[in-house]
Amino acid sequence: MNVKKALILVSLIILVLTLSAAFTSSALGHYPLPLSGVRWLASWYLYTTLNPQYPKFTAMSPEAVTAIVWDYRGLDTLFETAVFFLAIVGALALMRGISLKSLAESNETTTEGAGSGLSLISKTAAKLLTPLIIAVSASIALHGHLTPGGGFQGGSAAAVAPLLLLVIFSVYFLLRRGISEKPMLTLRTAGLLGIYLTALAVVFTGLVTGVNAYVFQNQPKFDAPVGIPAYLFNTLVSGSLFLFNLSEYLAVAGGFTLVFILLSIPEELVMSLIRGEEHE
Amino acid sequence: MNVSEELVNQVLMIVGTGMIVVGALADLVASIGMLRFPNFFVRLHAATVGTIWGAFVPLLGAAFFAAGYSELGPYRWFVAGGAVVTAFLILLLGPVGSHALARASYKSRAAVPKPLIYDALSEKLKEGEEK
Repeated sequence: MNVKKALILVSLIILVLTLSAAFTSSALGHYPLPLSGVRWLASWYLYTTLNPQYPKFTAMSPEAVTAIVWDYRGLDTLFETAVFFLAIVGALALMRGISLKSLAESNETTTEGAGSGLSLISKTAAKLLTPLIIAVSASIALHGHLTPGGGFQGGSAAAVAPLLLLVIFSVYFLLRRGISEKPMLTLRTAGLLGIYLTALAVVFTGLVTGVNAYVFQNQPKFDAPVGIPAYLFNTLVSGSLFLFNLSEYLAVAGGFTLVFILLSIPEELVMSLIRGEEHE
Repeated sequence: MNVSEELVNQVLMIVGTGMIVVGALADLVASIGMLRFPNFFVRLHAATVGTIWGAFVPLLGAAFFAAGYSELGPYRWFVAGGAVVTAFLILLLGPVGSHALARASYKSRAAVPKPLIYDALSEKLKEGEEK
């Protein structure tokens, strides 16, 4: 054991020394910066992300990361969302046929102790925190086009609230209050529908008005003069970025909550269901 | 900026720096305690010293410092407000977290409660008041 510890220590020291030697002798390049041929791209993003003087180039959002994620490389983000949705579809398919509602109903009468949750102190803290988490996550998502954050980040933060209730109260507490797989699936589908409609909104407008338009278009471009308005009631909403963030927030919050609820199904229930089907 | 405002800013920054230093010392003490204390429940005490004295106090100190650092302009209230909210959350969550840890490890018998002077929880568990 001591030999193992000594080996770990020595290898760590060697790693640190090698890296420092490599940096000082500039074996990793003079500075760990991107090449000058790449850097103009970053300056271009920073120059055009909120620049009303160039209305055909700008994304009208001061937050360049959100602008890149949902405008400059919007389709890529759409496929990321699709991958996440497919993962949740897979989880649902694995757990098909297991009714959480009957689980919640049977728990009220039979199992003793289960479903009573942690102590009163933990429950009180959770009650105080849950609305706070929802509020913070909503601000992360809805200010995603102004400050660091966005739909995915806000949705992940929002999913912490049901996770907290799930651990501190119990899954039956959530199910009895209607936070079960069906409403969460509805929320997730509504979010995805929002993303879909936002991505196609400008195309529909172009078709109706008879001008050129692109999928995932945000602001008007040179050959496509329509776009989603950047200001709503004199407030900067950055066109499609706000709508994408809102939809992604709903979709991710619903999706993660769904997965957490599915993961908390007791193994006995799943196994008994599988065995029951085999005998019949 | 007049002289009294300058004075208030100076006092705020000195108090804030003092609280941050106290927090750093408390973190040092807590980490020594985490390494040297004999069992889980006593080490949990060291961990909570680290959360309240080592995180809550220096965050309040950072809020005071930011409030007194006039070079930041109006943005200093954003920094101070964020620090106060975070400090409040840590004040709320640190004790709850250590409570839940201690209770769970007691009930699952994962750690021996030692040194034990009086055990009220076991009586309650026997009576069936708490599950």
